[in-house]
Amino acid sequence: MGLIKNIGNAVKSEVRDYLLKIVEAEKEAPKKPEAENIQKPAETKAEQQPKVEEKPVVKEVKAQPERVEEVVEVAEKPRRKEIYPISNDLEFVRVSYKKNQDGVMIPKDLAELIKMLPLEEYACFVKLYCFALEQRKNYGYWGGTLKRKIGLDQLTTAEFEELGNNLAAYGLLLLEQLTENQKTFVLYVPFDEESMVKLSTAKKPEKKPEKPAKKQAPKPAPKAKAEPETEAETQRDEDIPGKPVEGMEDDEMYKSYKTFVSLEIDKAKMRVGRANFDKIYMEAVKYIDKKYGFKVLSDSDKFKEYLTNYYISAFDIPTFENWKKSKG
Amino acid sequence: MLNDIKIMMKSLSDIDVRIMLCKSAFEWELLAKKYNALRDEIEAFCASELPEDVQTALEKTRAYLVEKKGELPPLDLSDFFK
Repeated sequence: MGLIKNIGNAVKSEVRDYLLKIVEAEKEAPKKPEAENIQKPAETKAEQQPKVEEKPVVKEVKAQPERVEEVVEVAEKPRRKEIYPISNDLEFVRVSYKKNQDGVMIPKDLAELIKMLPLEEYACFVKLYCFALEQRKNYGYWGGTLKRKIGLDQLTTAEFEELGNNLAAYGLLLLEQLTENQKTFVLYVPFDEESMVKLSTAKKPEKKPEKPAKKQAPKPAPKAKAEPETEAETQRDEDIPGKPVEGMEDDEMYKSYKTFVSLEIDKAKMRVGRANFDKIYMEAVKYIDKKYGFKVLSDSDKFKEYLTNYYISAFDIPTFENWKKSKG
Repeated sequence: MLNDIKIMMKSLSDIDVRIMLCKSAFEWELLAKKYNALRDEIEAFCASELPEDVQTALEKTRAYLVEKKGELPPLDLSDFFK
């Protein structure tokens, strides 16, 4: 009995020691880095302590300038981000309204589109829309007079120009540089046969994503009227995103082009962010359905092909021909 | 004929419900195939003229399908580029 009792006591003390060790280890775990520094005898501890205290101070001093740099970067970024069109398949038509409208009625589709605009651009678009109804046409000269007429007097010319460029980049306004000082605009309005008369179709801009602050390059041809109607039509067709690219040879060059496109799409995905990329994808789906029909949308291979072409256009990726030329 | 139309409309509304529950591109493709087959069947059945309510129902389902495809995660194109 005595032997069993002794064994029992020995086991108890072993277990207690083991538990104590675990508790101590847990207590020491967070202090480990400090404990590593303090390995020398008690006499040297006093000398080491200031060093240990100095480290965080040095770190804080270094951290401050980094924070300042970050703040400066954040303040600059918003103006530099790229704008992608809200919709790519809008047809810009110069229209005149048949009669004065009693109120301002924004069609549902248009309201859906413009609600995606930032506040300033949204306000500018609505003001232009009201102005278009008032003057019974959706086009005119862009400049100081317009700025005053739509009630944006408080904006500087540069700010108003930027708003116009942004709206153009979102794909809801068409700006045409007539001369160095003269610019015209065409506001996107959904065409309604009952209340409008179609005057002419305005040519779409070639590049889809644009930087907001960028000034528009003057166009070589001042008026599209000089060109034959058919030529304008084909040009417009070429501008449409998602148009299948034909005549691509199945050779090594094409394979490397495919890799290039794949990488560019990945890069664009990173650049615009997940949420925006999802929106672009949604827009692509709607566009492909509208343009090529549901059969294409439900055919996996065809859909991938059209989707790729849509991305090529939306992200400004060079076409096979252009890429081949750039490769020499 | 009325009963046949009712059965087809029921199949369409079944697809509508499944679209709401659809969570993957694979499921979506199956539903799209079903929709295409049903549409062909209905068009063949109503050879002379498609009743207005059937036409509306078909368009509505199509719109649901398009909307759902846009909501699903973007299609992975990696195998397309291989």
